[in-house]
Amino acid sequence: MRYLRLMGLFLKSSLLVELEYRVNFLAQGFLGVLYAGVSIASILLFFSQSNRLGGWTLDEALIIVGLFTIFDGLMECIVLPNIKRLVENIRNGAFDFTLLKPINSQFLSTLRYARLHGLTDMAVGAVVIITAVGRIGYRPNLADLFGFGLTFGMACLIIYSIQLAMATTAFWFVKVDNFTEAFRAVYDTARFPVSAFRGGLRIALTFVAPIAFMTTVPAQAVLGRLDAGLVLGSLGFGLGLFAASAALWRYAIRSYSSASS
Amino acid sequence: MAPQISVEDLSKHYQVHEKDPGLAGSLRAFFARKYKTVKAVDRVTFNIDSGERVGFLGPNGAGKTTTLKVLSGLLYPTSGATRVMGFTPHKREAAYLRRFTLVMGQKQQLLWDLPAIETFLINQAIYEISKADFEATLKELDQLLELGPLLRKQVRKLSLGERMKCELAAALLHRPQVLFLDEPTIGLDVTMQVRIRDFVAEYNARYGATVILTSHYMADVTALCSRLIVIDKGRLLYDGDFKALIERMAPYKIIKLQLPHPLPEGRLAAFGEVQSSEGLNAVLRIPRARATETAARILSEIEVDDVTFEDPPVEDIIRDVFAGGLIPTEKTP
Repeated sequence: MRYLRLMGLFLKSSLLVELEYRVNFLAQGFLGVLYAGVSIASILLFFSQSNRLGGWTLDEALIIVGLFTIFDGLMECIVLPNIKRLVENIRNGAFDFTLLKPINSQFLSTLRYARLHGLTDMAVGAVVIITAVGRIGYRPNLADLFGFGLTFGMACLIIYSIQLAMATTAFWFVKVDNFTEAFRAVYDTARFPVSAFRGGLRIALTFVAPIAFMTTVPAQAVLGRLDAGLVLGSLGFGLGLFAASAALWRYAIRSYSSASS
Repeated sequence: MAPQISVEDLSKHYQVHEKDPGLAGSLRAFFARKYKTVKAVDRVTFNIDSGERVGFLGPNGAGKTTTLKVLSGLLYPTSGATRVMGFTPHKREAAYLRRFTLVMGQKQQLLWDLPAIETFLINQAIYEISKADFEATLKELDQLLELGPLLRKQVRKLSLGERMKCELAAALLHRPQVLFLDEPTIGLDVTMQVRIRDFVAEYNARYGATVILTSHYMADVTALCSRLIVIDKGRLLYDGDFKALIERMAPYKIIKLQLPHPLPEGRLAAFGEVQSSEGLNAVLRIPRARATETAARILSEIEVDDVTFEDPPVEDIIRDVFAGGLIPTEKTP
């Protein structure tokens, strides 16, 4: 409860910062819409040549693009700004203040800041999904929606955990900008259904970097194509990666306090 | 009663990597790093009672900040035991974190782009300070620090001194009982240094909070702290009364004379060691025990316009301590 209230407060203070810089706020929002447009255009371009992508029709693939855009927005909103601050704070020593607060340090380091321009991506993504589902004509039932909620939540957790683990390495290496870039490159494959990739790559994108569980699986859920295996896989990856990244965080904090001066 | 802060045989060592100068050195360091152990704090022991004001003195890299960081739980000690208010700092229990504060003159917790009041509100929520307590504390801090309009100005537009005032307020909202102040006056002009100093003294008097202050401005320490802990290269050189240190390290007084007409140096040397003698001004060093008697002799035997007594400058004394004029450590009971 206390943590929820704090998140509200963090959001408010972030909003205040954004409003301090109006032009930047508007420009970033505009850029967000532009990027989402590029994603959609690339899928449309592909379907002008062919009518199936890894077994998915245009409208089905658009659901994946919508999800991709939403997560993109979420990362812009929450994950990236916090990681940027964290790495900066570790480098200049202000991270000490985080450790001095009587509150979970991982919570304070990863959910403290929000950039609101990512909201435009999320809105665009949601519109794309709703339009695509409407055009397909499939009415998701309650179970589909529940499955979607669950796999969507797990997808958020997977993205959060991977990025957290990458940022945590900053405690040892200090400069880790390249890692977030690397994740970005892999994440870009999530704009296509995982079945569009062949052989080893598809396996890697499912089990090594669980890209499949970020966009493909929630899209299957909304189309009523979810099975127990996918639900379990999604839960396993989501909770497992979260636990692992939290453990890594605790380990990093311990070594931070024993190594630095 | 157990002391509020106890540090026993505390050591903190850490490893740094070294690199030879130039590109070749950097390349070598990239592939095979050479590590060296630095003893930031080396077997230091002291106790501090509730309400004391203690000054930590030492040159850069002496281990002052490291000691404060161990006490605030930011660093694990390599060996030795520390207890503060019954807590083991490095466990960083929330109950402990709520009861002290660490202010670092070189780092800031205020949100750069927003007015300081926004940081205060977030700290209020993190420390779970009730609205009534928050308002009461803020009002008192406002009185003591004259925050007034500063609270509503963006932090990035504040001057260094104004920002420090807000930093202090942000660090004290939860009414800590122990204050660790690490170079709180660094970079401030003299007026602002005095303001901050007065504030710390007033805060200590009002709330009985314990203060440990590090500074390399001697004036901060002499004005604020009756007790002094001197460390250098991680070792404790002196712990005790400030006056006692001066008497031990400087068992002499300085007598400055202003003469109506020049006197030969030999005539002055009859009273004590002549430090300088130029025209009408002369400076003598007289053993402390004979200072009064010598002064009387001077006044009766030669003609003077003015006489002043002084203790040798504190800076000189401390320099002597660091230079190895080490006196046996005075243990506090």
